Amino acid sequence: MTAAVLQSPRLHRIREAVAARPRLWLAVTLGFPVVYYLGMFAALLIRFQALPNYTETFDWFGNVAEIIRSTPDWSDIWPIIGQEWLFEVGRMNYDYGAGISEWSLYINPTKFGLILILGALTATVVNLMLARRAACSTSRLNGGAAAGGLGAALVGMTNVTLAWVVCCATPSWVVGLAILGLGVSTSLWLEQFGWWIEYAGFGLLLASLYVLSGEPKGPDGTPAATAGGHDDHHIPNTAMGASR
Amino acid sequence: MLRHITQGLALGAVLALTAMAPAQAKTIKVAIGHQSMCTDTYTAGIVIKELKLLEKYLPKDGKYKDVDYDISWADYSSGGPITNQMMANKLNIGVMGDYPLIVNGAKFQATDSLRTYYVAGTGYNLKGSGNAIVVPVKSDLYKIGDLEGKAVSTPVGSAAWGMLLKAAQDNNIKFQLKNQSPAVGAANIAAGKIDAHSDFCPWSEIMEFRGTGRKIYDGSEAGVPYLHGVVVRKDLADDYPEVVQAFIKAVYAAGKWIKEDPMRATDLMEKWTGVEKEVLFIYFSEGGHLTLDPTIKPKWTEALKFDHTVLVKEKAIPPLDFDDWIDEKYIKAAYKDMGVDYEADKAAIVDPKVANAGLPNQIWHARDGIKEFKTLPEFLTAVAKFRATGAKINSTYVYDVETGLKLFGKTAFWVVTPKGEFSTFLRRGEAEKFAASSGGKVIDFDEAIAMKSS
Repeated sequence: MTAAVLQSPRLHRIREAVAARPRLWLAVTLGFPVVYYLGMFAALLIRFQALPNYTETFDWFGNVAEIIRSTPDWSDIWPIIGQEWLFEVGRMNYDYGAGISEWSLYINPTKFGLILILGALTATVVNLMLARRAACSTSRLNGGAAAGGLGAALVGMTNVTLAWVVCCATPSWVVGLAILGLGVSTSLWLEQFGWWIEYAGFGLLLASLYVLSGEPKGPDGTPAATAGGHDDHHIPNTAMGASR
Repeated sequence: MLRHITQGLALGAVLALTAMAPAQAKTIKVAIGHQSMCTDTYTAGIVIKELKLLEKYLPKDGKYKDVDYDISWADYSSGGPITNQMMANKLNIGVMGDYPLIVNGAKFQATDSLRTYYVAGTGYNLKGSGNAIVVPVKSDLYKIGDLEGKAVSTPVGSAAWGMLLKAAQDNNIKFQLKNQSPAVGAANIAAGKIDAHSDFCPWSEIMEFRGTGRKIYDGSEAGVPYLHGVVVRKDLADDYPEVVQAFIKAVYAAGKWIKEDPMRATDLMEKWTGVEKEVLFIYFSEGGHLTLDPTIKPKWTEALKFDHTVLVKEKAIPPLDFDDWIDEKYIKAAYKDMGVDYEADKAAIVDPKVANAGLPNQIWHARDGIKEFKTLPEFLTAVAKFRATGAKINSTYVYDVETGLKLFGKTAFWVVTPKGEFSTFLRRGEAEKFAASSGGKVIDFDEAIAMKSS
């Protein structure tokens, strides 16, 4: 079964597309988290019109070890580790008392990992689109791009790592929506659907890969190879755009 | 055969070495999350920390003879992050207000293997004072009904938010709800950028004391008790119940220390927290908003259950089994050890309207401390005299006729009757009503003082 999946034509086309532009794939994969976190940081600066005035680094490995040691059930360990922070940058308000963190951006390694996976999927979609421009119809390319873009947006949205004291310092993805101006009550109500939205996002990304890696169709809807066209397995590299 | 002998000898050697090794002192971690900007948590937070009361009560004999304690304190601006840190076992004791307490219990119960216990309170206000809605001092809004269609901010998820929702329901009004932190809300009130801000203790009083805000609605009108308490991770409570009892003894001792000399206490607490001592005094002095009492009363359980229904409706938090979560055995054992009657303390409930009747009005003279005056005319005459001599007055305190709540003299609405009698009110509406019925008129603090200066 696994072998069949690995040898499927779609997976073969995806591997080919990635292999055709490995540097582009790597750049998008690694660049995505960088742009993502810089984007969040810029959003904070624009929204609050103030520079951060503190940073803090956390002992992530030590904290994870402590969580594993002190949590009896593995089913609880993962979600708790998933909330651990590595680094925080934000703004402290010292007008009252000992100071209150007004807002912050934090790096959560678990979420960072998810964003890296998102980057890799996005890079694959981009490579596939470039590779299969000649083999896919415009509607298929547009559909794949739309599904991939929407999927990336949904996953990106549910992995926002911002804290705002206004949301009672609740570090949650909906804080990002609240900062961007969505009503707080609506944002908090949406929080319960976070997982579903994230699953939907990954689902759309996978659907995008599925669509873009499908067999080329002829004008009459039959597979291009049997309709007298060519199977893109055999498209020369130039048609794949690899040498450009 | 030889291999078995070798293995046996090696194992024997390891066991012998293990047995011969000197006993390592055991270290018990006691990590407490508290909130130095939330007055009602002080007796389980900053006071214990600074007076080192926990160290005083931690057990040091029996099974704790060779134990080392690793005590740490972490200060937070709200209860939510304390719960997260408790889940990761970076904290094992948390101090927070009623709404965050419920979220704490519910989040832990939503896990398969972790739990917290609600083991003690810190203090309460029976009617809900501590939370309040404040408007800019020059605003023309004077009552909750005036907020119809206005912009009102609050830290969503806090006790003040819960109070605001109930106030809106009780008074059948609708307003634009904005999420805002205490510090930003206070700054917006000072700048007149928002119509009203609802917040928890001591933010309303900070705004009043700084002369930027005026209360138009006190939490007591919602009629739901406002309380704070202590939650403890189950593993700490199960493994070291005496440590939890020691913490509760420290909470009790902190309350006793404050009651002994509120001026000394607020003076020190100002240094520890940065909150003005005059603001703290309105909470911690005799007749203040906060009744220091760690007992867990049935009325509190009812209030927490009500709060949970609000949170379920508005924030979809998980269910909470209160019977499993609230555990009185630690506080009962602590009281027994201290020789204090738990049931008697548990049965006592302080209603400010009753308890504060007849309490003297106070002037906090910068040099001479608190001076007390039985009647308002005496009080006003003294203020006038101090002002005339240029003496510095830190603050003044009177009581609301309607609720018995302690108020700043300068923010109260004063009514003077034709006979020259004075009364003080929290809200203008009630002052006007009283003035109409008594043939008097509503005046401000300065006018009242002027009537007594000669």
